[in-house]
Amino acid sequence: MKNKQIEEGATDRRKFLKLGLLTSFTAIASTSIITNLAAQEEETEKEATGEVMRLLTPDGKIVEVSASNINKYPEAFITPEESRKGIPDRKFVMVIDLAKCKNARKCVEGCQKGHNLDYHQEFMQIKLIQDNPLAEPYWFPKNCMHCDEPPCVKVCPTGATFKREDNIVLVDNERCIGCKFCVTSCPYSARIFNWEHKAKFDDKSQPYSPETNVPGATGTVMKCDFCPDLLRQGLLPHCAQSCPEGVIYFGDRNEDIVTNGAETVRFSELINKRGGYRHLEHLGTKPNVYYLPAVDKLYELEDGFDVNEEVKERYKNVPYVQELKKQGKI
Amino acid sequence: MNIQSRKRELFKEFAPRLETTSTVSKIYISFLIAIILVGIYAFYLQMSEGQIVTGMRDNVVWGIYEVNFILLVCISYSGAFISGILHFFHTPWKTAIARIVEIITVLSLLIGPIYILLCMGRLDRLHYLFMYPRIQSPITWDIIAIITDIVACFIYLYLTFIPDFAILRDHCEERDIPKWVKKMYKTLAIGYQDTKTQRDRLHKITRTMSAIIIVLAIVAYTVLAWIFSLTLQPGWNSTIFAPYFIVGGLFSGVAFIIVTMYLVRKFYKLEKYIRKMHFKVGGIILLILAMLYGYFTFTEYFSRWFSHKAIDTDLLDKLFTRYFWEFILANYVGILGPIGILFFKKLRTINWVTIASVIALVGIWINRYLIVIPTLETPYVPIQDTRVDYIFYAASWVEIALSFAGIAAFLLMFTLIGKLVPLVPMNYILDSHLETNKVKQKVNKEISE
Amino acid sequence: MKSNLYNHTFFISIIAALLLCTNGIAQQIDLSNYSMRFVFKTVKQADNSRLLEVSFIGFNDADRKDKLPVFGAEIQFLNVLNDEEIILGSSKTSKEGTAQLILLENQKYATDEQGYINLKARFNSTDALSIEEADIMVKDLHLDLNLSEIDSVKTVTLTAFTINSLGDKIPVSDLDVIINLNTMLSKMNINEGTIIDGTYTFEMTESFSGNTKGELTISSIIEENDEYGNIIQEKKVQWGTINKQVKFNDHSLWTKAAPIWMYVLLSILLLGVYINFIYTIVNLVKIKREGDNIKTEPKKNYTVY
Ligand code: SF4
Ligand code: SF4
Repeated sequence: MKNKQIEEGATDRRKFLKLGLLTSFTAIASTSIITNLAAQEEETEKEATGEVMRLLTPDGKIVEVSASNINKYPEAFITPEESRKGIPDRKFVMVIDLAKCKNARKCVEGCQKGHNLDYHQEFMQIKLIQDNPLAEPYWFPKNCMHCDEPPCVKVCPTGATFKREDNIVLVDNERCIGCKFCVTSCPYSARIFNWEHKAKFDDKSQPYSPETNVPGATGTVMKCDFCPDLLRQGLLPHCAQSCPEGVIYFGDRNEDIVTNGAETVRFSELINKRGGYRHLEHLGTKPNVYYLPAVDKLYELEDGFDVNEEVKERYKNVPYVQELKKQGKI
Repeated sequence: MNIQSRKRELFKEFAPRLETTSTVSKIYISFLIAIILVGIYAFYLQMSEGQIVTGMRDNVVWGIYEVNFILLVCISYSGAFISGILHFFHTPWKTAIARIVEIITVLSLLIGPIYILLCMGRLDRLHYLFMYPRIQSPITWDIIAIITDIVACFIYLYLTFIPDFAILRDHCEERDIPKWVKKMYKTLAIGYQDTKTQRDRLHKITRTMSAIIIVLAIVAYTVLAWIFSLTLQPGWNSTIFAPYFIVGGLFSGVAFIIVTMYLVRKFYKLEKYIRKMHFKVGGIILLILAMLYGYFTFTEYFSRWFSHKAIDTDLLDKLFTRYFWEFILANYVGILGPIGILFFKKLRTINWVTIASVIALVGIWINRYLIVIPTLETPYVPIQDTRVDYIFYAASWVEIALSFAGIAAFLLMFTLIGKLVPLVPMNYILDSHLETNKVKQKVNKEISE
Repeated sequence: MKSNLYNHTFFISIIAALLLCTNGIAQQIDLSNYSMRFVFKTVKQADNSRLLEVSFIGFNDADRKDKLPVFGAEIQFLNVLNDEEIILGSSKTSKEGTAQLILLENQKYATDEQGYINLKARFNSTDALSIEEADIMVKDLHLDLNLSEIDSVKTVTLTAFTINSLGDKIPVSDLDVIINLNTMLSKMNINEGTIIDGTYTFEMTESFSGNTKGELTISSIIEENDEYGNIIQEKKVQWGTINKQVKFNDHSLWTKAAPIWMYVLLSILLLGVYINFIYTIVNLVKIKREGDNIKTEPKKNYTVY
């Protein structure tokens, strides 16, 4: 614990330096001419659900830019062919610290923003899991496990979904024939299907790459992609970036280092000391997402119910939740 | 009796009734076409709107399309299997039903795969299956198996048709049949003159093809079962799935053949050829298969229930609560019902055997439903969603319309084929005729000696 | 990738790349309850180039969370000596409200008598926004990072000095420094200390895996020093204990190529079946030939059986 505090203190001071280094890439791309923003305003309606970001122009106007325009890096474009190879010499892993999760849902939202997903499309889902009748349930953020023996990839008839050398399992929306066999094969329910056409699929403003998973296509499958487009820029995936509690660690197994943005730790040590495990290990899928068990939780379970009604409703069938409701705690 | 005159007689009897089309059959055909048109509209909707118009959603990504697919393809495979056996072992009573079985085989093999295509999100990318094949995928195996099987069944069906086409060609001049049909008979008969060499040659290749068809049917069943049993899902991941599917498939196939036999006998006035004996034998086979199938079903569910793995328990709980009546219908009524009827010798009449077959067919359709859908509703990671349609599957009208369109298409094609060719193979009748003649001669010879 | 970009930094940093933008709405706003914050910083980077960065953001006085990054504002960067202003370059603010300029190592600066470089960032007023200026005075500090094994102990040695007008190295003291291990996505703090008399040494006892070649990237950082600003230095060294590399099998169920036996089995099965189809068709052709022959021959009496 002491160790951690020192860490955090140091990182605060370092924040600017890190920012400076990392943004030096993005700043280059994002210095742009303001008129461009305004010129297109009539052409496209604002998407009702899309979040907007407000910017001030030097002549005192406020420009609202849809947040989906953030995180587009045309200069980092990776062709579908290249995206099958993966980032050389890396083996990505994720560690999710269940003891710190309080169902803040920021990872879900961050991911949806980054991948231009609708409200109900969740690559990252938060489940309420109860291991046994005596144990208190815990929040369980679950994305694609990027398995080392991926059942989904095994069954794909076209190779539309594939596993790369850097551990990442991706879907090529331009190859997928929508047979949904992979969906039925994935024991983690990580895959979602595009059941209908959506206006956003028509956005052809940038060439398609399986690495960004945007814009998606009707009748094909999508899932968590570990954000290789961000990784290539040395940035954490959207979910890890947006978690306020630092629940999600991400890193390279070869380096044996994972980070949640604020804290950098050794992967093997973390797993060893905290009893890290993989979900449904017995199925033999060899996931690359590790969990640190929900022991000594930082938050009460009730704290996780500070969410909108719809989300609350999702957990109504968990017996423990019914109990809490009866006691009036939720 | 002279063989040529016998041929003429047969021709008179079976020559397709092309000249006349009664009002009833006109209404019947337009009715079928109407159903198919509704199906086509539903298909158009699904194509333009996406699969959102179906009841399928994340979690339950395969619905009754998949169920229909399994059922039809299984019927086809068992048709192939049975006609292969009928031919290969020179079964004496094959004569009357062989052609019906073969037509069923080909038709259901043509319609079945359409359902798997309906399940696909991107029909426009179908060719990717051949452009980027991955031979590790059970779907690839299935596609190879289906295509090979279609080819084999067509060849086989054609082989058994050749002598009939020859008879039709030789005798069609006597009737007022449209020119193109005559021409068709002539081309399709490929100059078959029923000489000894031709006859032997045809017999030889028909025999090897029938053997191949049996093997192919087994392989195809297995591959179909593997689509389910090679995944990790509860209720699917089972080692006995392949034999279970074979038995279940044969069960449904035999039931289907019996029902078709009943209809054909009724509407084509073939009482003389399709006799009670056929239903009796069919009934006994159905009884044996029902018992086998019941045995497999019991083992399958029993071992899951006994070993009590958490995820299997969840699935069984669902089957015994939400799907209680379906489960009863599929696995009690659908299996014990036919057994109960067919067990009694007295009940092995034409009507009762047909009733047992209908029960069996309905039962097995529901059984397939219970294999596909509840499993998908029971994933390892709990669903926890608020959208009801994402939690439970309910077929939409589009899916139902397309299911009926499939049945209508089957009936329509069957009717059309029945108009062009005889539904009872004339050459088989001749064969058995010759056989009896031979036997007679032999006996006569023996007596005279 | 990093170094590549830095080589062309001067150009790249002033070229404005297009933002792909689908929608934007402009509206007038009352700026009176926003106060503008104009922050200027400088970092001397590992390749000895100097990064100048301005962050220009309006904050709502009532609600600190409500911020308005100024986008597309032209910021001028200047080197000031007495009353003389030398323009170093200019750059526009990004969506985050930051403008950056990178000056290469060989950039000459005007310094005052004490050796300070006086840097200034300026935003010229518009109708809506008033003029903003900020300046920094820094001394050019040279930081040397030396990584070597002394008596098989991995030792990090730092030397810090300035160069006076005569070209002499003058060691500096009392500088707080952080030693980091740079990894792909973050920096891991492995040591902190103070430079005294121009040097700081630190023995690395922990071992890290490093990248696949066994290289570690060690960096040292001096942060927001009043005299020297920010200085970063980094180096690679072969100190990693290479992790065992997991190499994937090329012929498995999930790779592009299948296990060999699958190809073999499938080919045998398919060949067996399709050869039979061909055999059947060949026989059919023979039957047809015979039939054709019969037809062309004069009609004879055939004994069918
Ligand atoms: S979690 Fe599911 S989708 Fe992801 S790699 Fe594993 S099997 Fe495939
Ligand atoms: S749905 Fe697409 S990705 Fe999934 S198995 Fe089929 S083709 Fe492959």
